[in-house]
Amino acid sequence: MRISADAITVVAGTATLLNDVTVAAERGQLLGIVGPNGAGKSTLLRVLAGLRNSARGDTWYDGRPRSSFAPQQFARALSYLAQRGPVAWPLTVERLVALGRLPYAPTWGVKDTQGDAQISDALRDTDTSHLRERVVDTLSGGELARVMLARALAVGGSALLADEPVAALDPYHQLQVMEILRARADAGHTVVVVLHEITLAARFCDRLILLDAGRVAATGLPTEVLTDQNLHATYRVTALRGEHDGASYLLPWRTD
Amino acid sequence: MPPYVLVASILMIALARADAAPPQRVVSLNLCADELVIRLGQPGTVKSVTWLARDAALSNVADTAHNFPVNRGLAEDVVPLGPDLVIAGAYTARTAVSLLRRLKIPVLELDVPRSVDDALAQIKMVAAALGVEERGAELVEDIVSGLSALPVHPARNVQPIAAVYQPNGLTIGSGSLVDDLLRRAGLRNLAVERRIDNYGALPLELLLFARPDLLIVNSADHSGPALAYEVLQHPVLGQRYHGTRVVSVPSAWWSCPGPRLVDAVRLLQQAAQRLPATDVRP
Amino acid sequence: MHATRRLPFTMAGHLMRSASGPGALIGGLLFVMMMLAIGSLGVGVASLDVAQTVAHWWRAEATIATLVLMELRVPRTLLALLVGGSLGLAGAALQGLLRNPLAEPGIIGVSSCAAFGAVIAFYSGASVLAPLALPLAGIAGALLAVVLLYALAGREASTLTLILAGVAINGFAAAATALALNLSPNPFAVTEIVFWMMGSLADRSTAHLQLAAPLMLIGCALLLTSGRMLDALTLGEDTAASLGVRVGRQRLLLVLGTALAVGSGVAVTGAVGFVGLVAPHLMRPWVGHRPSQLLIVSALAGAVLVLAADIAIRLITIGPELKLGVVTALIGAPFFLVLVMRLRRQTI
Repeated sequence: MRISADAITVVAGTATLLNDVTVAAERGQLLGIVGPNGAGKSTLLRVLAGLRNSARGDTWYDGRPRSSFAPQQFARALSYLAQRGPVAWPLTVERLVALGRLPYAPTWGVKDTQGDAQISDALRDTDTSHLRERVVDTLSGGELARVMLARALAVGGSALLADEPVAALDPYHQLQVMEILRARADAGHTVVVVLHEITLAARFCDRLILLDAGRVAATGLPTEVLTDQNLHATYRVTALRGEHDGASYLLPWRTD
Repeated sequence: MPPYVLVASILMIALARADAAPPQRVVSLNLCADELVIRLGQPGTVKSVTWLARDAALSNVADTAHNFPVNRGLAEDVVPLGPDLVIAGAYTARTAVSLLRRLKIPVLELDVPRSVDDALAQIKMVAAALGVEERGAELVEDIVSGLSALPVHPARNVQPIAAVYQPNGLTIGSGSLVDDLLRRAGLRNLAVERRIDNYGALPLELLLFARPDLLIVNSADHSGPALAYEVLQHPVLGQRYHGTRVVSVPSAWWSCPGPRLVDAVRLLQQAAQRLPATDVRP
Repeated sequence: MHATRRLPFTMAGHLMRSASGPGALIGGLLFVMMMLAIGSLGVGVASLDVAQTVAHWWRAEATIATLVLMELRVPRTLLALLVGGSLGLAGAALQGLLRNPLAEPGIIGVSSCAAFGAVIAFYSGASVLAPLALPLAGIAGALLAVVLLYALAGREASTLTLILAGVAINGFAAAATALALNLSPNPFAVTEIVFWMMGSLADRSTAHLQLAAPLMLIGCALLLTSGRMLDALTLGEDTAASLGVRVGRQRLLLVLGTALAVGSGVAVTGAVGFVGLVAPHLMRPWVGHRPSQLLIVSALAGAVLVLAADIAIRLITIGPELKLGVVTALIGAPFFLVLVMRLRRQTI
């Protein structure tokens, strides 16, 4: 599903969180939302997920407004992975991932025929099948992050929006998660991810949008967005650049 | 005789007479005492009665009590009046009474009367303390003659059984004034038969299974609802206890020594007479 | 994410999970409930042959035994089940909503505010004019407590904030109730605070049952519909919303259901504490900690708890009859202490 946002402005009290932001997430594409702390990245993601209303501007889903979708229909199409928060109850991994199927069983008596298959697929895709019977609060940080991602994948929708899915993960699991998101995009889904790690953003994302203090600083290809000038202006860092196997990479190197 | 001895003797005799003089500033801290001091006390000697005395639901002398200042049973109300006799109940206003005693104010304590004879003895005792023995004797005489004037009905084959049912499901058992009144009215007391002492709980189930012939309740209290009254209105009671099987006695009539005791017995007697013939029961 | 201390019987619960599922548990609880209910009909001051009495009643023969059975013991038993069920259910629902295992109608002040409302209605004479005023006032009190709770603790309250808010609301309600009782002209009123704060099923009649039962049942029905939302809330409000749950609306229904179920119950039995804490906590491991599965088993467990407590009270014949809240507090308060200590050891 194509998600586009036109001239989004979000205010909270006297603060303007987002100011005239326009962005589009295409099918089969991994869009990264980057920017310094407090830039409004999570807010933008939530607006795109339909969780936050904008004071001005509109969000379109395949050209239609949110209201044109039935709630369950929308929930099945769009999957949202929130920032790592506590899991309230010590469920088993399988039951946690099964929460992703809630949009398919809205009332009693309605059976979710695809459920088991989707859950198994999600577990397999995130390499967590062996954790199926484990209780979630016995998992390590990396394992839990993948399980949460599996929950989001289990929704099976055509759009996946993830808020800092690799925060506080070790390098192995960071790469693993990004590879899963990349594979998802390659399979034709729309994937939008908020990232702090610009190295990963540069490497895995098809397109980036760089936010600074609620405004769009740059959009486009990673090479277009993460220029030295932009890095200096928004992150106030200088990066090292290089190439490997035909792909370019960058590393934040020095503060300015 | 030297002159000072003469003066001293006259003074001593005068003082002795002063000791024997009836109290001039009487305060009552107890509802039953209120009634007695109001009925028996010399005019002008009663300086204060309790505020309950003015409540028609509780007091037999409610109208007259309006002519007297009231107190709330606190030492603060009493001490400024400079009483020379305070009459209190044996179980109430304990802290006030102990303070009064420490201040060397004479306190007469009235126990709860446990029978009509007890009540009559109390009347005499209070009358003596007030210095109005003749009036006391008159009152006692009135009550005694009133009781004996009540019609004597031929003893039934079987005396009906009554149960007193108070707020909170309490009943009144043996060794109490109420029990004595019941006997004089020709009723057996369920509480006594079930060995419930004085003020005890009478569970509703027990009451139903015991099936007393007559249920005796207090007159309705108009001071607002309370949970204590809910059990008296339990729908399960209404099935049997209505009409002639219930009698409501004003609590003022049977709580304190006084002429109303006769009215209480008469009321109970009449209720007993009106009962449908009881089945033969052991 | 740090590994937390495992509760020993979660392992048992997970073992039990797969084949039998909640069905066996529900069946078991229902069976225990039936047994207790039949036992409850046979317990009382007077000795009664239950089977024979039921036979009499069935043949429409009115005896004292049928009277005692139908007008005293049956209402008492049914009310015990309803009150216990409502409290257990409300406790499970509140814990799911607030994502906190310490939440329950007593601790967060819903029961005591309901009692306050009922006291106003009863002692002002309003319930004499309109009997329905009593449970409705209880419901209003319960709603007030929830409003106060959200005002004090906010939506994402930590355990500490929640407990403190509950302390504040309970304190306010107790003081207001005591004041109202003191102002009542009836001299018995002041001592009756014990009933309102501790609860009792003694001498409840079919009138009480008819007054409270419909509202309690509606409240319970509302609460039972909240299962999906509670499951979704495991991952937070945002995720729940993204899963198609109308969080705001469902929360309102849950609050309303709690107020109806708890408020009307308290109005006829006084505030009974800790049932909403103990019942869900005991049942949680057996349903794999899933909030939606917890609802109905908590209701059943609560009903069993309260009925068992009431039977125990009736069996203890020494002294005046114990208040129901005393027994539930004797069980629940130590429970609460253990829970708090456990939670202290975990990350906040």
